[in-house]
Amino acid sequence: MRAKFDTYQPWITLLARLILGGVLLVAGALKVGNLQKSAMAVRAYELLPTAIANFLGYVLPWLEIGLGLLLILGVAVSISGLFGAIIMFAFIIAIAQAWARGLSIDCGCFGGGGPVDPSQTKYLSEIIRDIGLLGLGIFLYYFPKGRFALDK
Amino acid sequence: MASNSGDKGTRNLVIAMVVFIVAVGVIFSFISSRSDSTAAIPAAVSESDGYGIVLNPTSTPTIDVYIDYQCPACRVFEIINGGYLNEVIAQKKAKVVYHPMTFIGPESILAANAAACAADEGEFVDMNLALFQNQPQGENSGKWQSEYFVALGKSIGINSNTFEQCVNDGKYVNWTGNVAAASAKADVNGTPTIKINGKALDRNTEYGDLGKFRAALAAGGVK
Repeated sequence: MRAKFDTYQPWITLLARLILGGVLLVAGALKVGNLQKSAMAVRAYELLPTAIANFLGYVLPWLEIGLGLLLILGVAVSISGLFGAIIMFAFIIAIAQAWARGLSIDCGCFGGGGPVDPSQTKYLSEIIRDIGLLGLGIFLYYFPKGRFALDK
Repeated sequence: MASNSGDKGTRNLVIAMVVFIVAVGVIFSFISSRSDSTAAIPAAVSESDGYGIVLNPTSTPTIDVYIDYQCPACRVFEIINGGYLNEVIAQKKAKVVYHPMTFIGPESILAANAAACAADEGEFVDMNLALFQNQPQGENSGKWQSEYFVALGKSIGINSNTFEQCVNDGKYVNWTGNVAAASAKADVNGTPTIKINGKALDRNTEYGDLGKFRAALAAGGVK
């Protein structure tokens, strides 16, 4: 069992890197073209003071792109995985509190965001997706060595 | 796997490049999201009112209207409540400040510019209505270009050369960035957003029902 895991682990790490890195890269790339909207999506969570929400709206897409690139290329995988997991944890908290408080917003995860009709919220699927990505980040933190990486 | 200094060099170079991309991106984001104090602003616009287009500057109470001309919910809002709001403006029952936001993209910017050009001609209310009545299907469809807005202006009786030039030159395009920055500071996180004396109406009940909208304005002091 252990030996089997050791054989497959580098490939699982590669897959985890490509999925988490790919999602982060796409999510960031879809947002950088419209920073007004990105900041608006963060404000719509009604969680942070306006100035900090706007700051995050401008910075977050670039951080996602940076982390995505590092994970895909396989550089600093352990720490990038940890950061990815931390970001996902923050997203889960943000979405869950919006849900619990009865806000009706789009998560703005891949562009978009802001208020939507209450029938159009997708909180559960958004949280489940982010839990999956959080798991990948944690896996990468513990098992950073994988195939096709610049890290040796 | 054998490791050597060449691998390490590549790795560090990649890290440096990624950090550089992120840093440049963040700096670019902040610069491009800042207000531009040199931007041309329409005559009816005041910085203290969040760079919005002000109608009836001396009336009270104050109603702030945040819209994006490409936003379908804003069109619905205009259809339901626009007639009453225009009556409030015509009878000077309130100071009404329009903030044309532009987060849906380039054609929102051109539409906001055209509305501002119409404001300079004293025709903002009619242009605002005409824009919503002619909102294209789909965002940034290619339909909303300068020639379109010049023709739309003519259809509501704006025939002046200054209007045409204002639209064609995109005179107030940079001003739309100021509106966006001010709206972000004002914590407007969706359109339409209507505030009376700084307090937002209830999105779920008071935008889609004329009776409730009138009642909300009345509660805010519109007689």
